[in-house]
Amino acid sequence: MAEIVLALGVPHTPLLWRLLEPEVPDDLKPVAAAFAHFRNLLEAARPDTIVLVASDHFRQLSTANMPAFLVGKDPLMRGTHPNEVRHFGLPECQVPGDPELARLMVGHHEVPPGFDFAFSDEMWLDHAYVVPLLYLTPSLDIPVVPLNTNCNAPPIPGARRFAELGAHLRDTLEASPLDRRVALVASGHLSYELGGPRQFSGGPSGPEFDERALEWVGSGDIEAALAGCTYEDLLEAGNLTFQFLNFVVCMGAARGSPASSVEGVVCRFGTEPFFAWDMA
Amino acid sequence: MTRYMIDKLLLEIDRSDESLAAYQADPAAFVAAWEMAARSPVPPYPTGGRLTEEEREAFCPFDAGRLYAMGSHPFLLWHVVRALAGAGDVQETSRRYVAQIEPYGYPDFTT
Repeated sequence: MAEIVLALGVPHTPLLWRLLEPEVPDDLKPVAAAFAHFRNLLEAARPDTIVLVASDHFRQLSTANMPAFLVGKDPLMRGTHPNEVRHFGLPECQVPGDPELARLMVGHHEVPPGFDFAFSDEMWLDHAYVVPLLYLTPSLDIPVVPLNTNCNAPPIPGARRFAELGAHLRDTLEASPLDRRVALVASGHLSYELGGPRQFSGGPSGPEFDERALEWVGSGDIEAALAGCTYEDLLEAGNLTFQFLNFVVCMGAARGSPASSVEGVVCRFGTEPFFAWDMA
Repeated sequence: MTRYMIDKLLLEIDRSDESLAAYQADPAAFVAAWEMAARSPVPPYPTGGRLTEEEREAFCPFDAGRLYAMGSHPFLLWHVVRALAGAGDVQETSRRYVAQIEPYGYPDFTT
């Protein structure tokens, strides 16, 4: 069977890329340290495949065609778009996929019960994927199945759907004949604002939301998280806070178990989330 | 309001170095060419788009405050603002941008 051996929740703030080297500014040292720690956790878990839950920022998916949940099933994916190279200095890269595992989720001839995933045979991964991968697996040699969630273009799926997605993913993997050690990595934000009046204010846009969110993750209280993650709650915390929902996928996969490590690193960009669930 | 078309044009401006340079050189010509392209769309992703007079004015020249008030997507809007500012100090660009949009609070940005 396949199994989720580890779940991680990490940030993907792309402005970090130019700031974390060569010399790391003081307020970002704990962010660099947290990524280094999680890189070790991931290495120790020896995953065959990473299922990476993230939300494209209109780089490949616009509202011309916007799926709620989409799985990438190509064997090799392009990483980072030209305008992200310009904005953030991210390196263009290639990321191997795991079509066999992706097909388990989207089906071969018929969509399996539970989730009607959209699928892509030509995913082009934006910074929401590439930033976590570059910090967690810099050699980009672990196959990745991208699971894209629409957290940026309302209407956004309700929080409960994200929890169900995590549970569904774990059930599907555990019932499968595939032999895989899977790391589930969610890429998201705590409270976060960009393009609105609270952007670059030097700290979190919604510190009270962040406190509550750290409690939900630390206790594994899915129902409390769902109750506190309505569209209005998330928007009030900051206009890009919807990507917190990607961490709710991990909470669903953990079946209500508390995270084994919960850290909110406060820095110039807000509270950067570093969550781990040891599932082995 | 056709927020989708505003967002689509924001995406087009920031899509590549070439399109960014073309818009900066002549916003009105860039927008006119974009609207012209919609008359013969290239499948499967229809090229170009159409704007109302008010929306066209907000792009020619670029008026971040008006576009924000119209409900353009804040992520897309900010990235065009950043792109147009070039390599300047992000914090300073952000301060000027926030001063422009702050009066409008949080307009609905659903398409």
